[in-house]
Amino acid sequence: MNTSETSQNIHAQIVSLLPRLRRFARNLTRNPHDADDVVQIAVERALLRLDQWHRDARLDSWMFKIVRNAWIDELRSRARRDKIFLAEEAGENVGTEPIEKESALMSVQAAMARLPEDQRMAVSLVLIEGLPYKEAAEVLEVPIGTLTSRLARGREALQGLLGAEG
Amino acid sequence: MAFADGELDGTARAAVEAAMREDPEVEKRVAQHRALRQRIEKAYAAELSEPVPERLVIAANRAPTASGNNVVDLVSVRDSKARAAAGAQPRGSWWRPLGAIAASVIIGFALGYGGRHQSSSPLIRGAEGAVVASGELAQALSHQLSAEQSSTAAVKIGVSFLAKSGDYCRTFSLSGSASPSGLACRHDQEWRIQALSQPSGAAESDTAYRTAGSGMSPAILKAVEEQISGEPLDPTAESAARSTGWKAAR
Repeated sequence: MNTSETSQNIHAQIVSLLPRLRRFARNLTRNPHDADDVVQIAVERALLRLDQWHRDARLDSWMFKIVRNAWIDELRSRARRDKIFLAEEAGENVGTEPIEKESALMSVQAAMARLPEDQRMAVSLVLIEGLPYKEAAEVLEVPIGTLTSRLARGREALQGLLGAEG
Repeated sequence: MAFADGELDGTARAAVEAAMREDPEVEKRVAQHRALRQRIEKAYAAELSEPVPERLVIAANRAPTASGNNVVDLVSVRDSKARAAAGAQPRGSWWRPLGAIAASVIIGFALGYGGRHQSSSPLIRGAEGAVVASGELAQALSHQLSAEQSSTAAVKIGVSFLAKSGDYCRTFSLSGSASPSGLACRHDQEWRIQALSQPSGAAESDTAYRTAGSGMSPAILKAVEEQISGEPLDPTAESAARSTGWKAAR
């Protein structure tokens, strides 16, 4: 496979990942607009840093990690902006905007939104995006034991919020 | 949990399976984990079939721009979104780094505001490769304190800070419907304009993205973020800097 084939291939692969990246970003940011913005940033960054992606690594895990880092950068930059200008902007951006769904599904999303970020990310990567523990731990840059304990706590909390009937 | 998630290898899996056979409690917990997992998967499955915004597909298909300094952040993404929303005609960035500010913009800026203020000379002029503040704008940058300005002042000073370069910098905005804003830094006895939001109808569509209260465009904010060293000056420090003539403390 020559380089240009590979690079065409990578664009197609990223396009096919977009729905999952958006879904992950929504769980991350809890705001659909921020989610799309952060996915766009991540896609642009990923294309710039393709040389840093090891071909034997999973593209989805690598991209999830870039999405997450882009969001961390954005939160830092917002915190700084808010320090500079004591404007209402912070309030607007932090406000959660739940994704509208029919009520049966709403409860799962609403329950997710109540989880602390650590647990929400573990649940999102393993249970929703279907990553193996090892991959999820790498995305979040934590040891696997930390990942599984967050996942266990997140599950327990969801079970409690959603009711035992599952 | 690991069993229900399919994380266990042969031996461990067999052990859990044995435990499930012997202990209904274990079996129940595994079933609970699986049910929860399925319920969550199902609840989030619909999102995958939502149409993906075109801009994301375009971004994914774009060849990476090779320019070394490729800072992407939400501000620039929003700028591009606002531009896309504003009309079909791509008009390029409505804010440009100083070196690229179109001459027409500066002339328009100078005429538009110079003309309105009877007495004044242009607010901005070119000087040996730099664009510097003059007239009323230069006066305000040198003397006006943010805490003491009247709401009717033609030039409003925003935030003052010490830049990484060691120069003092101040953001400003001008009165008027288009209310352009900018960033100027004191260097060699002059206020050099570092960034300017374009004072034309083009900027109107970005109003929604302006920082509430600051009257400042995100591009100017971004320029501040890039240049600021530490925190903005408080009123005392601002006043002290003015009394030294904004001479950089290097």
